[in-house]
Amino acid sequence: MIAGAWICLLAPLGGALAITLTGPWISRRTAGWISTLTTFLAFTGALVAFLGLWSRDTEEREQLSTAYTWLAAGDFQVGLEILVDPLAVAMMLVVSGVGGLIVWYSMGYMAGDDEERRYFAYMSLFVFSMLLLVQAGNFLLLLVGWGLVGLASYLLIGFWHKRPEAVAAAKKAFVMNAIGDATFVLAIVLLVWNTGTLELPGVFGEVDGLSETTVNLVALGLLGGAVAKSAQIPLHTWLPDAMEGPTPVSALIHAATMVTAGVYLLVRTHPIFEAAPDIQSLAAILGTVTLLVAGLVALVQWDIKRVIAYSTMSQIGYMFLGAGIGAYGFAIFHLMTHAFFKALLFLAAGVVIHHLGGEQDIRRMSGLKAALPRTHVAFLIGTVALVGLPPFAGFWSKDAILASALETGGALGWTLFIAGLAGVLLTGAYAFRLYFTVFQGSSQEAAQPTHAHEAHGEGPLSMLVPVGVLAVLSTIGGLFSIPGVWHPFTHWIEETGEPLVEATAGQDYLTSAIAVALGIVGLLLARGAFLRGSQLVTPPSAWRVFEHKFYFDELYDALFYRPAAALASALRRNVEEPVIERSLDEIGSGTIFASGELARVQTGLLRTYALSIAFAVCVLVVVFVAVR
Amino acid sequence: MSGPGVGWYLIVAAMLFGIGSLGVMLRRSPLIVLLSLEIMLNGGNLALIAFARQLGNLDGQIFALTVMAVAAAEVAIGLGLIVAMARRDMTLDVDQASVLRG
Amino acid sequence: MGNVLVWMVWFLAAGACLGSGIAVVSLNNPFYSALALIGNLASLAVLYLLLAAEFLAAAQVLVYGGAVMVMFLFVIAYLGGRADAPWAGGSPVLQTAAVVAACALLVEVVVVLGLAWGDDLRDPAEVSDSFGSPAAIGELFLTDHLLAFEITSIVLLVAAVGGVVLGTTRERAADVGAGHGRPLQRRSDEERR
Repeated sequence: MIAGAWICLLAPLGGALAITLTGPWISRRTAGWISTLTTFLAFTGALVAFLGLWSRDTEEREQLSTAYTWLAAGDFQVGLEILVDPLAVAMMLVVSGVGGLIVWYSMGYMAGDDEERRYFAYMSLFVFSMLLLVQAGNFLLLLVGWGLVGLASYLLIGFWHKRPEAVAAAKKAFVMNAIGDATFVLAIVLLVWNTGTLELPGVFGEVDGLSETTVNLVALGLLGGAVAKSAQIPLHTWLPDAMEGPTPVSALIHAATMVTAGVYLLVRTHPIFEAAPDIQSLAAILGTVTLLVAGLVALVQWDIKRVIAYSTMSQIGYMFLGAGIGAYGFAIFHLMTHAFFKALLFLAAGVVIHHLGGEQDIRRMSGLKAALPRTHVAFLIGTVALVGLPPFAGFWSKDAILASALETGGALGWTLFIAGLAGVLLTGAYAFRLYFTVFQGSSQEAAQPTHAHEAHGEGPLSMLVPVGVLAVLSTIGGLFSIPGVWHPFTHWIEETGEPLVEATAGQDYLTSAIAVALGIVGLLLARGAFLRGSQLVTPPSAWRVFEHKFYFDELYDALFYRPAAALASALRRNVEEPVIERSLDEIGSGTIFASGELARVQTGLLRTYALSIAFAVCVLVVVFVAVR
Repeated sequence: MSGPGVGWYLIVAAMLFGIGSLGVMLRRSPLIVLLSLEIMLNGGNLALIAFARQLGNLDGQIFALTVMAVAAAEVAIGLGLIVAMARRDMTLDVDQASVLRG
Repeated sequence: MGNVLVWMVWFLAAGACLGSGIAVVSLNNPFYSALALIGNLASLAVLYLLLAAEFLAAAQVLVYGGAVMVMFLFVIAYLGGRADAPWAGGSPVLQTAAVVAACALLVEVVVVLGLAWGDDLRDPAEVSDSFGSPAAIGELFLTDHLLAFEITSIVLLVAAVGGVVLGTTRERAADVGAGHGRPLQRRSDEERR
């Protein structure tokens, strides 16, 4: 069982190394197959680990396995150790499963690209990093995984590095993640300092002994890292720009897995957050704000991938909400269902983009239902799952979170509940706006596919099968938790983290009813606007605000970038050029000048030499006398 | 010791040294410079011998004798230089001989 | 009585010494300067005698007066008119600085002497009659200071060789001209400046 976990971790690494080392000598398809097969191998390993864990009793479901001890200083030890417990195994299955499907899909999507091998090497690197993150048994290894996924994200967003927008987006993502990394590291430092260990079980055991300020600071640091990685407000502006990367990258990294790492962190370190309840509530509040803002902005986007990106941001807001109020099981459940339907949406969008030869503007797409029938069905399933209509996946998970918010009660609980419901309305509106615009209506002349793609219809098998699988999963994937009937998934996760709130079946049904109603209202609004031929957001001022994403980018530009750039150029003008550059010249000319002056001592006149000797003797006599 | 004490001799020696150094620094003819050098050396000799008398130690006189020998050698070379300068029809002026090359 | 005589001799010798020293430094004619130096050396010999350094007094007269000064006079004779020595010239700053330096030195020495006059310089040691005699000097030279003795002889040898070298190598070049200088040589000297 542990072997399964190790195989899960190391197979993608092996794949990445294999592709890197044999790069020039293998064909592009081979690279793709290496990447895909190693990821599926990882999935198998995860499955083995899961089955092994399942067969054990509840008490034995936390296994720590150390490969070797890397650092040992006195009592402090840290090593390459993985933690295999229900939460980790669930994440492993999602990451390797969905990852495998997406990598397989990439074989079709990226076929013909010049640098396919680099792409697959990066993809395998990413899968390895994400698995390292979820399997890490100590904070240091978690941090390593954390940083590596950031690196992989940077590499993959900027994959088409000849495009300046892609490069800029990659840098933006990396820098914002670095801010989160910094707070994360500070939190880890505080933990080491106060508890003397970095092992996850060890740290959690020591949490009770920490002072309140320490725990709050640690939780804040962890939250900062999670917020950056999961693109929540205020560190969210990198996610829409990250759509510059290839679509499978957007699907894998920026929908299904990497951005959910923040949620994983919140659930994994819940003992710390439970000891700092204010910070935990802060997480829920940030998630809720993001949920609403992202929903509003998604209403006015024209790029198909950007709409889905904002949708991701919004749904992760739900997960933060769930983790923030203590509904850990449901937060992870929503993570899983979201991985299914969001990846489905991205991949289906990818088929559309691929079919249209790279077109991403939905104003130039319409009536693709006829041209891409299977993709149309898949996209529709994804959209319905996203909005949360039964019996599709999103319904079960999202409504459970909202019911937990209702159960929490108090001012906070009610605010979160109402906001969450408003979010459902927005989700219905923007999701169906997208669906109607792209697939319904008459097909445009300008959107005719290029002849190359007409040849094989909707797309190669490698692209369609994963989409199909994900469509199936989006349909039945939610059935792992039916309120009042059976909760295998949440019980599984709850072994790692007892939920703080548990909604009753009655609250669940009530919430679901309201949510579904709101979702359908959103659908009708979108349909109405589409049929009228207008947009949902009409007032120009509102449109402007939403289109500028609530001016966050402008704010950050003014607050951070401009002063830094001004400072840098001021320093260059006033310090670098006059002082440092000129000083190098001055050193040269100064030396020449000094030596010229010094050479004037050599007059050649005997008498001056004699004079100087005489003076020296005078001085020496005084010195000698004084010393005695 | 009858007569002036050692201190008086030392004053004379110091004055001789001063006169000699004035000559070295102020005269332009190399001959006179050499002569002034001799005076300085003699002043040093006098001081040495005075101290030898004061301390009852003959080492001072040995030193002075050695100085005398070395001074003689130095004068020989110096005069050789002056003769060489004269042979090349150079003006016998230390201020002119400022190139200090062979 | 003997004391007074000694003081008188001392004053005469010291006065002659200093006077001839000033003469050496200030006279224009180098021949007269050389003669003044001979006087200086003689009076110094008298002072040495007063300091119980008989051998040194004799050596002074013989070596300095007899050999070194004769060398000087030979060269002055050879140089003839060219040996005429102008007084200082050059920058006034240099001259004042020179005077200042010499005076400073003198003042310093006087100060030091003054400080030590009371105690260190009070009583000269008792010396035997053989103090400063040739036998005593010779004994020291051949026992304690043998190294100095030998090295001095080497120095003298080197000086002799150097003198010969300085004298002879120019001989071939000097044969060309008639002694009034070769225009070629002079120009090259001036060019070099």
